[in-house]
Amino acid sequence: MSPTSLPPTIHIIDDEAPFRRSLLFLLESVGWQAVGHESAEAFLEAPPAFPAGGGCLVLDIRMPRISGLELQRRLKLADSPFPIIFMTGHGDVELAVQAMKDGAVDFLQKPFKDQLFLDTVERAVQLSLERHAASRRHQEARDCLARLSAREHEVARLLALGQTNKEVARQLGISENTVHVHRQHVMEKTGTGSAAELARLILRADPAGLD
Amino acid sequence: MNAHNIVQYSFERHSSMLDLIFKSHVARFCSLAVLLFCMWNTSAYAETDIRLGVLAWLGSEEAEVQWQPLVQQLERRLPGHRIVLRDYSLDELSEALRTGEIEFLVTNPGHYIMLEAEHGISRIATQVSAPSQDPAHVVGSAVVVRSQRQDLRRLEDLQNSRLAAVADDAFGGYQVIWAELRRRGLDPEHGEPRTSFTGFPMPRVAAAVLNGEADAGVLRACLLERLEREGTIPAGTLRVLSPRPDIGHCGVTSALYPGWAFAAARGTDPALSRAVLMALLTLPPDDQGQSWSVPADYHPVHELFRELQIGPYAFLRETGWDSLWRRYWPWGAGLLLVLVVWGIYTLRVEHLVQRRTQQLSSALAEHHRLEERVQAGQEQMDHLSRLSILGELAGTLAHELNQPLAAIGNYARSLLRRQQADNLSPEALRQAAEEIASESERAAGILGGIRAFARKRSRVREVRDMAGLVEETSALIRGMLARAPLIELHTTLPAAARQVVVDPLQIQQVLLNLFKNAWDAQQAAGSDAPIEVLLGAAADGRCTVAARDHGAGLTPELQAHLFEAFFTTKPDGLGLGLSICKTIIEAHGGELRATSPSNGPGLVLEFSLPLATPGATCQKPDHA
Repeated sequence: MSPTSLPPTIHIIDDEAPFRRSLLFLLESVGWQAVGHESAEAFLEAPPAFPAGGGCLVLDIRMPRISGLELQRRLKLADSPFPIIFMTGHGDVELAVQAMKDGAVDFLQKPFKDQLFLDTVERAVQLSLERHAASRRHQEARDCLARLSAREHEVARLLALGQTNKEVARQLGISENTVHVHRQHVMEKTGTGSAAELARLILRADPAGLD
Repeated sequence: MNAHNIVQYSFERHSSMLDLIFKSHVARFCSLAVLLFCMWNTSAYAETDIRLGVLAWLGSEEAEVQWQPLVQQLERRLPGHRIVLRDYSLDELSEALRTGEIEFLVTNPGHYIMLEAEHGISRIATQVSAPSQDPAHVVGSAVVVRSQRQDLRRLEDLQNSRLAAVADDAFGGYQVIWAELRRRGLDPEHGEPRTSFTGFPMPRVAAAVLNGEADAGVLRACLLERLEREGTIPAGTLRVLSPRPDIGHCGVTSALYPGWAFAAARGTDPALSRAVLMALLTLPPDDQGQSWSVPADYHPVHELFRELQIGPYAFLRETGWDSLWRRYWPWGAGLLLVLVVWGIYTLRVEHLVQRRTQQLSSALAEHHRLEERVQAGQEQMDHLSRLSILGELAGTLAHELNQPLAAIGNYARSLLRRQQADNLSPEALRQAAEEIASESERAAGILGGIRAFARKRSRVREVRDMAGLVEETSALIRGMLARAPLIELHTTLPAAARQVVVDPLQIQQVLLNLFKNAWDAQQAAGSDAPIEVLLGAAADGRCTVAARDHGAGLTPELQAHLFEAFFTTKPDGLGLGLSICKTIIEAHGGELRATSPSNGPGLVLEFSLPLATPGATCQKPDHA
C-alpha cells in the first residue's frame, strides 16, 4: 500500500466486459480506484491525468482493431506516465516478450491468482509514484537552470565540471572578477552551495548535461 | 486243264464281256434251280399231306372219332390232298406249332387266344353247333354235382367244397367256370372252392364227382348229356348246377363263348388256307350238328383271360417288383437314368444358384461396405478438417475459455477479501453472484460449442438467418485470432430472403475456413482491410454468399486446384479445408467457386445455399 493517503487509480482496458468488471470488483475490494475501458480507442479518446495516488494501466494484449501492443506503442510516444501491465492468454508468450522489451512492467497470464494481480498492480503503482517523483525533480532542476542566462549557464557547467574561477576565466576569455560575479548569481539562482551540488542539479535536469 | 486254260485265256482276252455273260448265266441258273425246288417241294406237300392238329380234349381215340368225319369231308372237297390228322394235348399243340409240324389246327377258343399270341396263328373259321348257329355263343361249361346234393344249388354254394376239373389250362373244362366263380366272389386259386385236376380225357371229371372225390366237376357244355346218352353215366345221377334258363339244348352253368377255332399256322400257304376255308364253310353239319362258320369275335375270350389274368394276360398277375422289373427293366433303367441325370442336374443347378447367390450377396455386401467406408472417410475428413482448424486455433480457444473462468475466480476471491475486511455489502454480493452465474454459463456455452464443432455429426438441416451465421462466425474468429480481421457484412436482403436451410455448424465451418484463409492471405500481403461478405439472391431460389479478401489473390492455375484435397499454398497447411468446404457446399446443393474480384487484388469465394422459402427471392434487394 502506498504510504500516501490518496488511493491509486488503476485503468483496466479489456474488450471482455465481464472479465473487466471482475477486475474492477477485485480492485475495489482492496479500496483502490479502478476505471474500466472497453477498448484502446475509448482510452485514447480521453486520456486521464496522472492521479496523485499513483496508478497504472492493465491491458489485454488481444483486442480488436487497436491491440494492447499498439496502445503501448502509442502511449510511449505520448510519454504517458502510466506503467503498463499486460494480460495475456495461453500461448501469447512471444507477444508478452515483445511487450516487456517495449517497457511493460510485467505480464500476467490468464487466468491469474488475485493476489498475484494485486501485488503486480501495487508494484506498478509504486513504480508510477517513483517515476512521477523523479520526473518532478527533473522538471524542477530544468526550471531552476532555466532561470540562468546563457553566460551564467556556461559558467555553471564549467564550475560543475570542477574548474576553478581562474580556469573558467581563461577558457571563456573573460576576467576572473567577472567569473566570480557570475558564480555568485548562479549559486543564488539555483540555491546551491557548492560545485558538487551544482553538478547534481545539472545532471538531474539532463543526464548528458556534463558531457 | 485245257478248258481251264481256255477259260482263263478268254477271261484274260475278253475279261469284261465274259465276266458279264458268265455272271448272268450263273444267276439265271441259280434262280431256276431254287424255283424248281420250291415248286417240287410245295407240290409234293399239296399232293400228299395237309397236316391238321387237333386238341384231344376227350383223349386220342375220342379225337379220332370226333374229327375223322371232318377229315373225310375236307379230303372230299380238296381233291388231291390228304389230310393228316394229329391229336395233341394243349402243350403238345403249342410245340407242334413251334416245330412247324402242322399247317392247320383246331382248338378251343381259350387255347386259340394263347396260341395266337405265342405263334401268330390266325383263325379261318369258327365252329358252330346246331342249336344256336351263332359262332359267338358256342362254348360253355357245366358244373355238375351229384343229384342228391341238395346243399349245392348255386355256384356260390361251392365256396367250401371240392371242385374237379380236367386241367387248369382247359378252356371249357375249367377257365370258363373259373371266371364265373370269380364273378361271384369266389377264388379257386385260394381254395374257394378247393380245386383238383384230373387230367384229360374229360369224363374223368364226371367219374371224380360220381365216386365222391369231388363235390362238383366242370364239364364242357353238353358233355354230360352226351355221356348220359351214351350210357357212360346213368341219367339222373349228376345234375347241372344252376343251369342257364336261356339255353335249352344242354345244361350250361356259364356264359357261352365263341366256338372252337379252325386256324392256320403262320407260314401256311394263303392259297391253301383259302381252299381249306372254302371247304370248311361248305361243309354240312355233322351228326353232332356242328358245322363251320366265319371266324367269330374272340373278344369275350380275351376279356375272360384278362379277367383271370392268364394266357396273354398272365403278366397282369406279375405285380411284384421283380416281375415289373423283368418286364420293364429297360424302361425302369431309362427312367432311373433320367432321374439320376435330373438329380445331378438339379443338384448342379442348386449348387450354381447357391454359389451365384453367395457371390451376389457378397458383392452386395462388398458394395455396401465400400459405401460405408466412403461415407466414413468423408465424415473422418470432415472431422479431421474441424480438428485441424481447432488445432490451429487451440491457443486462442483457450484464451476464449480463460475469460469467463478468470472472471469467476476474480469475483469469488474478491468476495472473500471483502468478507475478511468486513466490508461486504449486500449490493456487492448480489453483483458478484450474478456475474459468477452468467460467466459460468458462458463458459459452458463455449465448451458446448467447441464440443459440437469437433464432434462427428450426421446430417442436420435447420432454418437459419444467413446474416446471423456470418455474424456468429466472425464473432468466433474474433475470439480466436489475435489481430483478428474485421468482417464486414453487406446485405440489403430482407430477413425473409436470408432464411437458409443448412447444417449451421457445417456452414460455420465453411465460413471459418474462408475467413481464416482470407485473413492468412491478407496477413501475407500486409493488408488490414476488412474482409467483405456479400449476401445476395440467386435466380434459382437460393441465397448467395460471397467472401472477398484483399490479399494477393490467386492465379487462374492455382484457382483451378484450389478445391482439390491436399492442395495447399501454405507451408504448414493440410490442404483439406477448402476441399471439405466444397463437399459441404455440394451437400447443400450448391457449388463453391473462386473468382478474382472485379476491382483490385484479392480473391472472391462464392457459394449458394437453399432458401427455406424460395418465394422470398421475389423481393429483390434495393441496391443490387
